[in-house]
Amino acid sequence: MSTHSVEVVYRGIFQKHLAQKICRGIVLAAVKEGKRGIAFGRYGDSPERNGIPAKQFAIVADTEEELQISMAQYEPKETDVSIAVDDTLCKGVESWAWYGLQPINKLLKKDGTLLVTSMEEPDALLTMAHSKEVPYHIAVVKGTVSFSGLWVYKDDHTDVRVLGAVAKVAPHLVRIGSVEKAILEEWGDELKVKSARKTYDRAQKHLVAPGTGNPETPYTFEMPKWQEMREGLVIPAIPVREQVEGWDGGYRPGRNPTFKKFSTRTMRPVVDFEKCTKCTLCWLQCPDSCFDITPDGLYDANMQACCGCGVCEAVCPVENCITMVNETAFPDNASQWEAWQKDEDGYRTWVQQIITNRPARSHGFSHVTQYKQELAEMRKTEPAGEVAIINEEPGAGPG
Amino acid sequence: MQTLQLEPFKGVKKVTQEEYFTSGHRTCQGCESALVMKLMVKAAGPRTVVLGSTGCMYVANTTYYSTSWVVPWMHTQLGSSGSAGLGTAAALKVLMRKGKIPQEPINVIAFCGDGGGVDMGLSAISATLMHEGYNLLILCYDNESYANTDIQVSGSSPWGVNTTFSPPGKKYRIMNRRWKKNMAAMLAAGHPTCRYVATVCASFAVDMMNKVRKSLSIGGPTFIHSLDPCPKGWDYDPMLSHELGELAVETGIWPLYEVEDGKLRFYSKSKAIAAGRKRKPVREYLERQGRFAHFIEEDIEFFQRKTDEMWEKWLIPGVIPFTPEEKTALRLAVQ
Amino acid sequence: MSALTAKAGEREELISGCEAIAHACRLADIDVVTAYPIRPYDTVMQMVAKMISNGDLDAEYIVAESEHSQFEIVKHASAVGARVFVGSSGVGWFYAMEALAVTAGLRLPMVALVGNRALDDPGAFGCEHNDALAVRDLGWMLTWIEGAQEALDTALMAYRVAENPKVFLPCALGMDGAFLTHSQHLVRLPTKEQVTEFLPPYDRGDKRLHPDNPITIAPQVNEDWLMEIRMQNSEAMKRARGVIVEANRDFKRIFGRGGDPWLEEYMTEDAEVVLIGQGTLGLPVKVTVRKLREQGQKVGFVRLKWLRPFPTEEITQTLSRFKAVGVVDRDYSFGSPNDGGVLYNEIRSALYGADTRPPILGFICGLGGREVTIPDVVEMVETTVKTAKTGRVDKPTTWVGVRG
Repeated sequence: MSTHSVEVVYRGIFQKHLAQKICRGIVLAAVKEGKRGIAFGRYGDSPERNGIPAKQFAIVADTEEELQISMAQYEPKETDVSIAVDDTLCKGVESWAWYGLQPINKLLKKDGTLLVTSMEEPDALLTMAHSKEVPYHIAVVKGTVSFSGLWVYKDDHTDVRVLGAVAKVAPHLVRIGSVEKAILEEWGDELKVKSARKTYDRAQKHLVAPGTGNPETPYTFEMPKWQEMREGLVIPAIPVREQVEGWDGGYRPGRNPTFKKFSTRTMRPVVDFEKCTKCTLCWLQCPDSCFDITPDGLYDANMQACCGCGVCEAVCPVENCITMVNETAFPDNASQWEAWQKDEDGYRTWVQQIITNRPARSHGFSHVTQYKQELAEMRKTEPAGEVAIINEEPGAGPG
Repeated sequence: MQTLQLEPFKGVKKVTQEEYFTSGHRTCQGCESALVMKLMVKAAGPRTVVLGSTGCMYVANTTYYSTSWVVPWMHTQLGSSGSAGLGTAAALKVLMRKGKIPQEPINVIAFCGDGGGVDMGLSAISATLMHEGYNLLILCYDNESYANTDIQVSGSSPWGVNTTFSPPGKKYRIMNRRWKKNMAAMLAAGHPTCRYVATVCASFAVDMMNKVRKSLSIGGPTFIHSLDPCPKGWDYDPMLSHELGELAVETGIWPLYEVEDGKLRFYSKSKAIAAGRKRKPVREYLERQGRFAHFIEEDIEFFQRKTDEMWEKWLIPGVIPFTPEEKTALRLAVQ
Repeated sequence: MSALTAKAGEREELISGCEAIAHACRLADIDVVTAYPIRPYDTVMQMVAKMISNGDLDAEYIVAESEHSQFEIVKHASAVGARVFVGSSGVGWFYAMEALAVTAGLRLPMVALVGNRALDDPGAFGCEHNDALAVRDLGWMLTWIEGAQEALDTALMAYRVAENPKVFLPCALGMDGAFLTHSQHLVRLPTKEQVTEFLPPYDRGDKRLHPDNPITIAPQVNEDWLMEIRMQNSEAMKRARGVIVEANRDFKRIFGRGGDPWLEEYMTEDAEVVLIGQGTLGLPVKVTVRKLREQGQKVGFVRLKWLRPFPTEEITQTLSRFKAVGVVDRDYSFGSPNDGGVLYNEIRSALYGADTRPPILGFICGLGGREVTIPDVVEMVETTVKTAKTGRVDKPTTWVGVRG
């Protein structure tokens, strides 16, 4: 008698179908071993917002009765395997106001496994993931993060490769043989079976000792009692400006104190202040009002508000003035303008280095032939043997 | 009842700093509608009350027990943007007349999505636009689907689009066989005493903000229809929101115009198109969006043909679809 | 038409229940009123319109394009701090149902007249209470009125209670279609001065929607918040009980009228059995009670004034005095316990915890506006008396005055 839970933490909309396929695959594979299971999304994340962290779950047990409690819950209380299909999620999850920053390994039980799809090494990922009091394991499925939108599914085999890895790190949950049977039944595609097996063969889990990882304590909020809440569904508005010492002439908008965007980004803008012509477009066109106007009239992307859409880069008329860079490249959320103020030369070098070495990543659908081209490209660029086999025809998303 | 006289922003660098809709909302990366909210109240200023119908800009914007609004904001029901604006404007008017609150012009803006405006809320918007005595703006942010509830087709969705209620399948490639409603023109034509109706797109930010300012200054109930690229429902890289807005206008699919006291004016690139400038092919717009990825050549051609008709066959290009029968004597006011 | 009476400058006029409500609106100096036509409530809106066109009342009068808009418009006006009046009947009330639900959730003190009317289909103008009863569980206060004088008095009371910051809940005035909406009674009209003393101005305080009070109202919640919000609503409804008693006391002091806030007891002192009901049903019942008293029968009548908040203690204490109780419902609740009416099941539930529980019978009558006749009432009383004797309920629910 035992119940095992897997959560897939993903970027809303972009990876909705990917997460669904992984959770279905786990349950269907478990069924091949005579187990029972359910798959569901965290209701509070629906309707999903693209980029906003969301979760789906697969829960398998020996009997239907063991599943009953899970059928009346939004999410399991603990997981055997937590999967992050976007490595920037290792920084944590904040999907609603007042949730605070929830560590990616929060639900992971002792000796469980954190499975991440990434080009990074485990050590790099552990600088982002918050430290835990109990030991657990980390395993990496090598590959660029798989992003596609809602209607067109980028079939780069990430789904089945993750399934293969799950069979390796948690054989008590599903075995590779049943995963292969399930894939064949669900997708009817020998190539995907091979991809799963290949990842299974290579996947390795590394022990994470207690206390290893990002030492900072994630911010939390305490919810008010009913007597403390204003009646009539009334909430105080946000103040029009946040007072900043010595910011005469500058402007920083008031910001929502209980809902931040630290974990919403997959990329963030890097601003080369020396190139800036103060045309105002990044500031004006930002849907999240994330740019603070500095006293010297420059625009500094404030990381508590930036959700990493990249519109600022798109509208900036100056080449390489604003460049979107993978969120994994940043250790903190410090102000770029302040860094530039302190040390212009140092900042100049940093900008050069960070925008030149930025890892390639896709950020959703751009044109109809895009995924086909990207898949062809991946065959050449992915690490040897990892993704040797990929369909060239992207499948349509279930919608 | 006087209104605030809001001068147009003379160029992008003259736009005021203050934000009255700020960060901390739960909208998608690259959400153009969130940008519309921001620009709308930036243009209106601090002495403004905003009513928001159910939809993305409600559900995604305000996560209890917090908010992204600096100016006073209140939720209203999906079909109630017209009624919410009317009730708020009426209360302010009478309370000032009776000396129960200080006399001062206050902007009232009620917004709705295409589901809440073009579909469900239409009757209340229509009724409200005929109440000359009240000053308010109804702004419809149109992302061409019920994007909040999971992207279902609406009366404002484009022909053939892939939504969860109009998915292409093995038997039918095209499930949404309705062409997009001609909302702004319908309201302008159907409400003769309404002094101001306009179409906007946040990719043309200053034009958009100045139309909001004009709609609030001119007095009476007014209407603005905004086309908002939606990275979630339209399926594209959020970075492209701005570009898709521009493409919608450059292809002629979304004309930018205003009808002020019965006078029609085209704006920005639509002005050039109305004057005969070549339109970009709709293909450039359609192929950038996953929601049209199932289109085959004949679908793109059909879309192009319908768009051409807008500009080549309509009585008023891009605005009024019907034309008089040849035999009908008609003196055209517009040339 | 009006006979000026000597004291206090009060006037007595012959007016209908709807007109009495219109006078209450004038005296309460309402700010925004919205109208949409449907019988029988809408004569109140005809009267209010005339008052405005004659300059007797200064208010925004908006004719909406549907009941949904009608109620949404005043809902938002109320959020800004305007005193509002609205109303409807039958399926019109149901067309506004979404607005009715959110108004209570938003804690807005809207006062609405429900000219009780049977629900379609088939279309009918006659009286049934099921329209107003639809808001029974939503956080609306709900009261029923017997006569035109009480209509005016209760409307003024409704504003005072609803607008009390301890309450801030909407109030629906149930008024029987035809019998009260359209029949004229002699009504004493109080002076503006009296009303001003009784009814303070509506002050929404830190909940009003205005640039000087920057707030966000009703953001989207998830499962982490709604329990607390519903709790606040429930507590407000509980507080309303005390506020009603207080308002009732002041009303008597200032206007010299009005009895018990919750119940009107008629010839109950030594009664062994009573009937209990709401609205104009009391009139034929009282007549019959008098006749039966002449024949030496110890019967009485109790009229319930407020269904929400429900006076649980008062009902329990009063009704447990009798040997048997007959509940008269001008409504239905198909498939409910014992297939009884709404009031029957509410009262039965309230008495469940009482130390002494009389047997309770349910009578369904007067549906679709059918007259409740003296023989009807006699039948109800006799059945109740029989039950009092045997102490046994053979047939919990009886339809009275139905053919076949």
